[in-house]
Amino acid sequence: MNSKASPWAARAGIAVLVLALALVPLLAPLFDLDYYTGFVRRLMIVALAAASLNFLMGRVGLVALGHAGFVGVGAYAVAALAEAGWTSAWAVWGLAGVAGVVVAGLTGAVALRTKGVYFIMITLAFAQMLFYLAVSLRKYGGDDGYTLYAPLHLIGGENAIAASGAPLYWVVLALVALVLLALWRIEASHFGRALEGIRDNETRMQAMGYPTYLLKLCAFAAAGGVASLSGALIATQNGFISPSLMHWTQSALLIVMVVIGGVGRRWGAPLGVAVWLVFEEVLKQFTEYWHAPMGLLLIAVVFLAPKGLSALASRKAAP
Amino acid sequence: MTLLVAHQLVKRFGALLATDHVSFAVNAGEIHALIGPNGAGKSTLVNLISGLLPADGGTLSLDGVDLTHLAPHRRVAAGLSRCFQVTSIFPKQTVGENLLLAVQAHAGSSFRFAKPRETDHDLLAAAQALAERVTLAGEWGRVAGTLPHGAQRKLDVALAIAAAPKLLLLDEPMAGMGPVESAEMVELIQRLRQDMAILLIEHDMDAVFQLADRISVLVYGKVLTCGTAAEIQADPQVQAVYLGTETDLLGLAA
Repeated sequence: MNSKASPWAARAGIAVLVLALALVPLLAPLFDLDYYTGFVRRLMIVALAAASLNFLMGRVGLVALGHAGFVGVGAYAVAALAEAGWTSAWAVWGLAGVAGVVVAGLTGAVALRTKGVYFIMITLAFAQMLFYLAVSLRKYGGDDGYTLYAPLHLIGGENAIAASGAPLYWVVLALVALVLLALWRIEASHFGRALEGIRDNETRMQAMGYPTYLLKLCAFAAAGGVASLSGALIATQNGFISPSLMHWTQSALLIVMVVIGGVGRRWGAPLGVAVWLVFEEVLKQFTEYWHAPMGLLLIAVVFLAPKGLSALASRKAAP
Repeated sequence: MTLLVAHQLVKRFGALLATDHVSFAVNAGEIHALIGPNGAGKSTLVNLISGLLPADGGTLSLDGVDLTHLAPHRRVAAGLSRCFQVTSIFPKQTVGENLLLAVQAHAGSSFRFAKPRETDHDLLAAAQALAERVTLAGEWGRVAGTLPHGAQRKLDVALAIAAAPKLLLLDEPMAGMGPVESAEMVELIQRLRQDMAILLIEHDMDAVFQLADRISVLVYGKVLTCGTAAEIQADPQVQAVYLGTETDLLGLAA
């Protein structure tokens, strides 16, 4: 009885959450809280990048410290395509995602030959290369960044709908929900189970005949694609890109968010992102030095919710 | 008929010649034991054969297929599986999940993303058959790390034989076992030999003499001698090794 009831309860919960989020752009203006539509949208976009990182960290056991690099690839792909005259948001986002898969596939092919701390360092190194590449792109404003003047549209033609405001919000909500559901489904698939085995005992997986390198590369490239899609959405929502998107502290921040939320847990990424961004938002209203109380909060989270952290620690300790 | 042929295998760790031009063969259907004192290079040799360590020289072939430059997972596909000296299972998952993972490696592709694995009934049937085969069916739902040592060793064997190998490498399967568990493992190996050749690395001499058709003796990275159980027991060189006069022996063997 219970085993049948609980998935339905979970599904109902998800449906309620999605519905509640969908109502935000309609209700917020009634209370003069328009600003929060954009805030929740940003939260969902960041959750997308964090979810792809949590997939790597939690399901495959790969602590990648260069995830913001792929976010940047997506953002710059939007700039490049918009510059080239593309106006369909769907086409631009799709190509941005493909660009992320390609870049993650190429860098992953090298990075995945290493393990542990070396993997962390090499993913960081690749992200730094992408960062300085962006800084050196004079066409896109170098350090100063680049403003996207030509807006993308969700639907073209006479009754065009621009990729902004509430429509963009709903599209982002749908995309995030779809990607999260897809990631959860993959977890339970043959592929997901194989990744889990690699996380727990890669040598044994090799000895049982699994092409572990290829499986990891596939997961890494897919995660890079999702992060890149997140970057494309950020570029679309802000109408502005700059290298700071892929600064290494952004990669680290994504890891912190995932750790706060719970490594390898379904709701880990969205929860971690929500906690971080909401506290940042609240603290900023009281003090400009919001980093200090945030640090204290982090310590509190570590002590009050040690389960996520202990899972991370034991995984790191595994050979 | 020879199955596995190792020819002049070499492995160096810096100045140490851990595997010193080792040549030997395992016949189809035989249990071939590899014995030798601690530090003789048995585990290194197993890692060379299974591909977890790259060889610095020599060749290796299984049933006519050259394995020398194949990655570990390709050697499994060619028919070579192994167990580990230190039990290598997935301790946080259940016995059933362990076995499913093992059969999944050979039942079609792992690049399947959409359907939950639990809907794959063929896979489940294969995993359950495997559980029966190693007498772990009763422990299906138990978390593997909580099994007693002997059962964990059996699970390790099960993970290896899921591939239906032509040759199984057993690296000290009786290590750390009491007499009852050892006897069970001997029984399991007796049953497995009907389906595959076995290269057995073992310190438990009773088990070795009980099981092995032929025995190779490894000392300081070299094969000292190879023969039947009776020949090995009567060999004065082997007796010298096990009485601890290896230093003299080096001169003899060189």
